[in-house]
Parts: sequence; structure tokens; C-alpha cells
Amino acid sequence: MFEMRSIVKHFGSVKALNGACLSVKPGEIRALLGSNGSGKSTIVKIMGGIVRANAGELLMDGVPIRIESAADSRSFGFAVAYQELSLLPQMSVIDNIMLGHEYTRRGGLLDEKRRRESVRGLLERLEIKCSPDALVQNISPSEQSMVEVAKALSREPKFLLLDEVTASLHHDEVESLFRVLREEKAKGVSILIVTHRMNEIYQVCDSATIFRNGATAAEGPMSRFPLNEVIYHMTGTRVKEEAAAAPRSTAKGQDALLRVEHLTMKPKVSDISLHVDKGEIVGIGGLEGQGQAEYMKAIFGDLTPDAGEMWFEGRQLRLKDTSQAVKRGISYISGDRTKESVFSLRTIEENLTAGDAALGGVWSWVSAKKIRKMAGDAVERYQIKIGAITDSASSLSGGNQQKLAIARGIAVGPKLLLLNDPTKGVDINSRNEIHKILRDSSAEGMGVLLVSSDTEELLGICSRIYVFYEGRVVAELSGDQRTEENIVRAMIGGAPEGREEAGT
Amino acid sequence: MKRLLYRLKTAPYFTGLILFLTILALNVVIQTPARFFSAANINSLVAKNLPLILITMSQGLLMMSGVIDFSVGVQVSLSNVIAIMIPQSLGLPIWVGWLCAVAGCVAVSAFNGFITTYLRIPVLLSCYSMVFVVKGLNVLIMPKPQGSVPPVIYKTYDSVLLGFLPFSALILAAVLLFWLYLKRTAFAKALYATGGNLRHAYSSGINTSAVRMKVYLIAGVINGIAGLCMTAMTASGDPNAGEVYGLKTVAACILGGISMSGGWGTLSCALYGALLLILTQNGVSNLFNFLSRAIPGFSVTNYWQNFASDLIILLALILTVFTNKAMMGSIKKQADYLALGGKRNEA
Repeated sequence: MFEMRSIVKHFGSVKALNGACLSVKPGEIRALLGSNGSGKSTIVKIMGGIVRANAGELLMDGVPIRIESAADSRSFGFAVAYQELSLLPQMSVIDNIMLGHEYTRRGGLLDEKRRRESVRGLLERLEIKCSPDALVQNISPSEQSMVEVAKALSREPKFLLLDEVTASLHHDEVESLFRVLREEKAKGVSILIVTHRMNEIYQVCDSATIFRNGATAAEGPMSRFPLNEVIYHMTGTRVKEEAAAAPRSTAKGQDALLRVEHLTMKPKVSDISLHVDKGEIVGIGGLEGQGQAEYMKAIFGDLTPDAGEMWFEGRQLRLKDTSQAVKRGISYISGDRTKESVFSLRTIEENLTAGDAALGGVWSWVSAKKIRKMAGDAVERYQIKIGAITDSASSLSGGNQQKLAIARGIAVGPKLLLLNDPTKGVDINSRNEIHKILRDSSAEGMGVLLVSSDTEELLGICSRIYVFYEGRVVAELSGDQRTEENIVRAMIGGAPEGREEAGT
Repeated sequence: MKRLLYRLKTAPYFTGLILFLTILALNVVIQTPARFFSAANINSLVAKNLPLILITMSQGLLMMSGVIDFSVGVQVSLSNVIAIMIPQSLGLPIWVGWLCAVAGCVAVSAFNGFITTYLRIPVLLSCYSMVFVVKGLNVLIMPKPQGSVPPVIYKTYDSVLLGFLPFSALILAAVLLFWLYLKRTAFAKALYATGGNLRHAYSSGINTSAVRMKVYLIAGVINGIAGLCMTAMTASGDPNAGEVYGLKTVAACILGGISMSGGWGTLSCALYGALLLILTQNGVSNLFNFLSRAIPGFSVTNYWQNFASDLIILLALILTVFTNKAMMGSIKKQADYLALGGKRNEA
């Protein structure tokens, strides 16, 4: 029996875990459930020794233990199959599976025969068809996930942790995985599964722990948690028995500002159509990594789609690069401040006018006075809290940096604004102000397409919401259908009540 | 046969090997087979270039584990000046000096490893500054080129055994044998994993810092030996002779097929890469000799020779980068095909 009590973990000012509790018994398969950012992955990483908890207790059979490193975690009998995989693409399947616990002979030489036999046995047991000598980068994504599981199993763990490994698996692969999990369970192994596929949970899990906002919301045998109950504990609100179907707010795609048809980009996006009207705020919801980011980047010309057509203001949109998008009146703002949006060492003024510079030619004259005025106006209009306009952007708080990025995007006067999770890790106050900016701009006729992992945000400002799941649209919600329960249900792959034909 | 060809094609050293064989063929043509394959020519080629070959190998090991070290060149000089100065100015036996020379390189490498792996100083910054630190050290120990070694040492180093086998090739073989052993240990797997993705290796329970540290120590030993070879070859000391090698080794490794970002390659990549550099230089210089003999009045400076050989190396580097990209592309296509074609019924 392994127990975790009141675990606290914060990354900077963001609290990932806030008094979470979790326990697994020998011979038990437990599901760990929760929506985006509820701390599931973090707690798995704590068990795997990659992340250290700030506070809380870890008890192994009632005895307090400390997990300081990945090697510690191994020695306590934990093995983790990670969502983002821990495989080395340039190494062979054998090398990957045996990594960190090699069979050796005298003189430190590897026992090739034993390694091969043990890997072959594992591959057969999990029904993985790839060659043991193939490099991991050459096998398919689903096989990679299975190899990740094989790698964890090869250590003959007492505690097997699977962090969303089924996300990219095919049906028959899931079947063989579950067969192996049941066998392991019979041997007395404790298994913890993190997944969003609810039907799988009812198939194999004995019990469940549900996280909400970094704390344990509910815990108990699976029989106590029908789907509605799970959604209640994930969101904190009851599912209304009847969700009335609402009329569409706008005529579909008539004089749409942006119309995307059958956009496909393998393997992340498959056949997604949507439209954004003038002055409309459209939301894209879904769990993280369901193809939203790729979709947005394709519209912005950063990625080239495999198939599909885009129409912007009635004319076909074929972009070779992002500067063309800006010239056509499309702006893109990323929520990833450090990587994709703010020039943290440059001044606030330069940050604000960087987007404007993209409109003119490379050598076009930029007047310092004009810039100062423009930046000053933007700071005032969007209420960005700054010291001096010539301070570096890194002097601002996260929320204000994000406002800076949005102000820059709007400053160029786009007709369409693409936002990728703009309020991630932003405090509530700045978030409200950002929402106000978006509402005001859309009232002036700007179309907004907003990707957000935050359901509340989508409900708050979007008139229509598309929900992505595994690279497809599973629900388009408008009017009264826009409820938290419907979104969460679609996020985990279930059909919402009163659902219409998706993705048209 | 087909399988063998496939394995060869997907081996990291494939491009390097092809480039090496091409330049080898050109060399043979320019020099004529009889003269190129003469024992004296092979001996002088290996003996003269062994220091470069050896430090390219230590650079290769470092690059495979995901780090880089420009100071391998100056470490060769460090070993050289210590090996000369300790017997000369302290009157100690030569073997003491030679041991200290290797120990000196190990110490420098260990220090380098410590600041990059434990203090997490970006590797380019730390090794770049180490170049100047070690250079200064070299000049402090030996202000100007001087010294000598007993004739028995350089005569042995330059000797040809059994009429065809250069003595220097034995040293090279010893290092290669060591790698063949290392390659079959768990350490090699840990090394590749660390170079491939530090975090993934760590989460697999590998002590990545210890792995890198060990690689630095091994590299230090090889650098020290390279310095001793230099000492035997030149039979004197020069505090600045090795510096030019530092960046060359990186180019050689990439030419041989070792990935700049780590986790890919073998020591034979380093070997082919180094031989490629050496033979290019050799071929160009022979070509110019031939031209000056064939065309009366034709004479150019060394600079032109360097210019020509470096231009060839630049072309080879571009070629390597492009072929690697093309290879990755075809591999990715294959993976996509498998991902989509293999399980079409399910989707």
C-alpha cells in the first residue's frame, strides 16, 4: 500500500497541487481523473522522482519515504510510462526498454542474449509487432506508446503508473494492454491509470481518485462513479438533466470572415472545418494537445496543411509564411510568453510596436516620436501596468506581459485575431481585463478565434465553442448548449446532449 | 547481402565513410597507388596526424554524450609541454613527466566536466573560456618552443613494424579496441541516452551527471595520450601547436556523421571524419606539388593550399548536412506510412 497525503507543489506562483491525497493498494487498478491543470501529471511526476513536492507525506506501508530522484523512485518499485514518452528516438527498441537496468555479464559486458530474450518476451506479451532492433524514431506513434509501457513493465514494478498512454493507441492495442494490466493486477501489482477516455476506465479500473484544482475531490470504488458523477467531481457543478437545444446565433458560414474547410494535417489534425463571423468570438476547447495549436498555426501560415481550404473575407487564403498573414489582416498571439510572444529583453515600447513593423517594408522609416505615441496610447488603452515605457518587458508581471502581447496583436488593426491560450497562468484580474479587451475589439467588428484550456473562459466570452478531441471536432456548442458539463463531456470524447452534426 | 547493405546505409558513419572513400580514391589517383600505399607514406600520414585523429575521437565521445569541448586542442599542447618540462627543469624521469602530462589533461577535462554538468554553465561558454585558461597555462609552463626527447622515443614512434605496420597505428588500434569494449557495456547505452535526451535518460533512472563526468575523464585520458604522441612526433615542446586542432575536431566529427545535438554516432564516425580532413589536406598539397612540377613557373603559397582544402571541407560539410536531412525525411515518411497504412481499418 502506497499513500500520498496533502501533497503541495507550486511552480513559481502557480499552484499545481494543493493538498492532494492519493493511495493505491496492491492488486488494484486505480483511475486518476481530473480536467486540465488539475495536477494529475504533476503527482505522477512526483512518484516518478522527476518533480519534488514542496510539502506533504509519502507513506510506503505506513512508513514515511522520500523520493529524491528517478533512481530513488525505481528502487521503491515505481515504473512510469509517461504521456510525453521517455524514449530515445535514435536508439533501438531493445536499448530503450532495457535502459537503466541492463543485464550484464562478467567484465561489464552486456548480456545481449538475455536482453534480446526478455525484450522479445515483452513485445510478444503486449502484442507489439515492431522489430526489437528498429530505431524508435522509425516505428509508429502508437507502437512508441506501447514500447513506453513495455519499458515500464520490464522493470517488474510493484507500482505501475500509466500517464495517458492510451491517447494514441488503437483499439486492439488498448485491448492487449488491458489484458496485460489484468495479468499484472493478479500478480499483486498496483496500477494507476491517468486517462481521459472514460469507457476505458469503466473497463479496467476498480477504483478512482478525482482531482479538482490540485486537490482530491473524490475517491472510492468505481461503482460509486457513473459518468455524471465523475463530471460533477471534475467540475464541481451538477449536470442538468435536460440541456435544451438552442438555435444557432448566426447563419452558418454565410458572410463568414474566416471559413476553414476540411483542414487536415497529419497526424495532429484530421478534417476540421469551422467558420468565424465578423465581430464574433469563437472558442476552441478541448484537452491540451488535441491539435488546437497546430490548427491555429495552419491558419496563420506557420504550418502548411496537408489538405483543406481556407477562405478569408470571401477570398481564398493560401499563405506561404506568417508575414503574409499579417498583411492580410490576421494576427496570432501565443500563450507561451517565453517562447513565442514577448521579447523579454527589449523595451515595452519596442514590444508594442514590433507587430506594426511587420506591416511596412523592411527598410521603411520608423519615426521615434510616432512610436512613443503609439506605445503610450496602447498602454493607456489596455491598462498595462508599467514602470517606464523604456523598461524591459521582463519587468512586467505575467498578466501584463500577456496584455502587452495582445495589445501588439490588436495594434496592427487585424480583422481576425487568433489567440492560443492567452490567459494561461495569468491572474484573475488581468484575465478579466484581457477578456474586456477582446469583447471591445470584437464589438468593433474584429473576429476572434480563441483556443483555451480553461472551460470557464470559453463560457465567459465565446458565442460559439468547438471542442477538439484527437484532432477532430466532437462538438459545436452555441446558445444554451454552452454549459461546462457539455464541454467537459465532449473534451473526454463523449457526445454532448443535444449534439448536432459535428464539424460542418 | 541486402540486409548488410541496409544496415550499412542506416549506420551513422555511412556518409562519412562514403566521403572518406571518395577522397581516398582521389588521393590514390593523384599520388599513384604505388606511392600512396607505400609503407613510408602510410606511416608518415598516420604518425603525423595521430594527435588530430585521437582528439577527434575524444571530441566524438563528448559530442555523442551531448556536450562539446573546444579545449581538446590546447589540452594536447598542455600534455606536450608538461611531458617536456617536467624531466627538463625538475630532472625527474621521463615516465613521471609523461604520467603528469596525462594527469594534467584529465584534470582540465574533469574541471570542464564539473562546471558544465554540475554547475550547469552552458557548455560553449565554459569550453571557450577554458581554451584561454589552458593556453595561458601552457605558456606559463613553457614560454617558448624548446626541449627534446631521447631518440629512442621518436625513433620507436616513427618505426614501421614487420615492414608495413606503423607503430603509431598500434596506438590508434588500442583506442579503437577500448571503444569496441565500451560499446558493449551498459555505460555506452547510458552515454547515448544522455546525449539523446537528458531528461528522458534521467527519468529512466540514469545518473546523467555521472555519465557525462566519466565521458569527460575518458576524453581527458585520450587528449593526454594525443599530447604524448605529439611530443614523440615533434621530439620537442611547443605551447601553441595544438590550438588549431580545437575546432577542426568538431568539423571532423560532423563530417563523420556524429550529431551536433548528441546521441547519435560511433567512434568510427570520428575516425572517418578525421581521415577525411587529413586526406583532403594531403591530396591538395600533392596536387599543388604536381601542378608546380607539371607547369613551369606555377607556384602558390601555402595559403592557397589551405584555402582550397578548407573549401572542399566546407562543401563536404554542406553535403553531410543535406544528406542527413534527406535521410531523416525518408525515415519520417516511412514512419508516417506505417502509422497510417498499418492500421487503416481502425480509424
